Amino acid sequence: MLKYGQAFIIGLQSNLVYRWNFGVRSIFWFFHLAVVYILWGAAYAGHATIGSYTFAQTLTYFVVIFVLQFFIGAFNEDYQISEDIRNGLINQFLLKPINYFAYRLSVFTAARVVSGAFGVMALLVALPIFRGYIELPHDSWRIYLGLPAMALTAIIQFSIAYCFGLLAFWFLEIQGFVILSMAVETLLGGQVVPLDLLPPAVFNVVRFLPFFYQAYFPAAIFTGRQGLDFALQGLAIQAFWAFILVCLAEFVWKRGLRHHTAAGG
Amino acid sequence: MKTLARYLQIWLASARYSLVRATMFRGDLFIWATVELLWITVNVIMVGVIYSHTPTVAGWTLYQMLILVGTSMLIQRFLMGFFWSGIFEMGRNVRSGLFDFTLAQPGDPLFMASTRKLELDGLLNSLVAGALVVYSARKLGLHPGFLDIARYGFMVACGVVIHYSALVMAMSLAFWITSAQGVEGSYFTLMEFSRLPRQAFNGIAAVVFVWILPVVVVSNAPANEILHGYNAGWMIGLCAATAAWFTLAVVIFRSGLKRYTSASS
Repeated sequence: MLKYGQAFIIGLQSNLVYRWNFGVRSIFWFFHLAVVYILWGAAYAGHATIGSYTFAQTLTYFVVIFVLQFFIGAFNEDYQISEDIRNGLINQFLLKPINYFAYRLSVFTAARVVSGAFGVMALLVALPIFRGYIELPHDSWRIYLGLPAMALTAIIQFSIAYCFGLLAFWFLEIQGFVILSMAVETLLGGQVVPLDLLPPAVFNVVRFLPFFYQAYFPAAIFTGRQGLDFALQGLAIQAFWAFILVCLAEFVWKRGLRHHTAAGG
Repeated sequence: MKTLARYLQIWLASARYSLVRATMFRGDLFIWATVELLWITVNVIMVGVIYSHTPTVAGWTLYQMLILVGTSMLIQRFLMGFFWSGIFEMGRNVRSGLFDFTLAQPGDPLFMASTRKLELDGLLNSLVAGALVVYSARKLGLHPGFLDIARYGFMVACGVVIHYSALVMAMSLAFWITSAQGVEGSYFTLMEFSRLPRQAFNGIAAVVFVWILPVVVVSNAPANEILHGYNAGWMIGLCAATAAWFTLAVVIFRSGLKRYTSASS
């Protein structure tokens, strides 16, 4: 456990070196929020509600989605893992009693602590501007269920990124796969439109996919878009997907190692 | 004239190399073409979901909005096809020191860096974006004349130059912050505004995104040409923005270049 703690500390340090990148991302977070504000503001003109939600509720949803991404989103973990494999850096982990998944998860957690801090700073700056539009429910159960949902979302996001990174065992270039999956995740994760605005039949299919739990689900709990029963059911489905994806990551790792050739001496 | 011919010759050589390379890695080409297609689909679905709840957004109907989105995607696909790979790699090469190779080439560093690769997948998907514009125009019963189409093409070209300039500026940050990894996302965030109708912008947002940053003009000007015919104001505004942004991008790139210290031994 101590070694993963050290990996976490090193991860913190190396991410702080690139603090300007997170800073730039935080600044552009405002632009992203501005797009949402302008687009949905225009869509709501003349409508009190869309899909039974007010403009404030929809804006709150997107603010929460953005902040969650800073805390639990996998940004470039897939790229880092693929670089480890491509450059042969993975070899050092094969010779030591270190679980590569746990090591990468430690580094991912450290990166999210740093980016999360920037996310909170960005939120604090944005709050005076958007305060009138933030409407959060006051049920305490939303915190108790929302936090584990966040943790499971982080595991799902990380595991998917990890699996895509491991594709470098087979393919020279994995960015195509990564961005392909990003497009699907962005849409089916609810980052483009709140998923409850989809036709009910589509929503009922999407809620059983892992992407649903990558952003929409915790955001829907925190912002009151879903009730207690739905949250409890969702948490069970989310735990199932987290388990499946961690198992898949282990499976892909083992299969990938069979393909791997460690060169050099 | 002689210099122009020499640069055209260099570009044609790069284009030929890229085409040969693309046909060698056909699987890669297929994946990237799918990626691009999927992102266009994501945008169309987003518009579809919003319009399933409201008949107009800022006075724009569904098919008018699809012309705007299609035009925006068309500009972006051209940028992806002609310049993306070169500029994206420039950011990474500045960090690793591989930018030395660009500087050693017989031509202007910005030209050499940004025209190094032609991406066939982006160019292929420009056909899809174009088809979206044509389909929407037909749905609206529009029959633009030859001059309208020529002016539309010219405006799209201006848009590509503005997008190019924005991307060069974003990636030139690598000269100052060393790692531009993730900064390219800032370009995509900024260009999200180009999918919004001009009429949605009010107050400070109109000043910033319509007049200071030409992200709205870039797509609204050509879309308006198709929808409402020629407007001298749009044309002058777009030409002025194109000249100003391209000049600014060159200035920023050159001042960044002065800071570049080779990382090679």
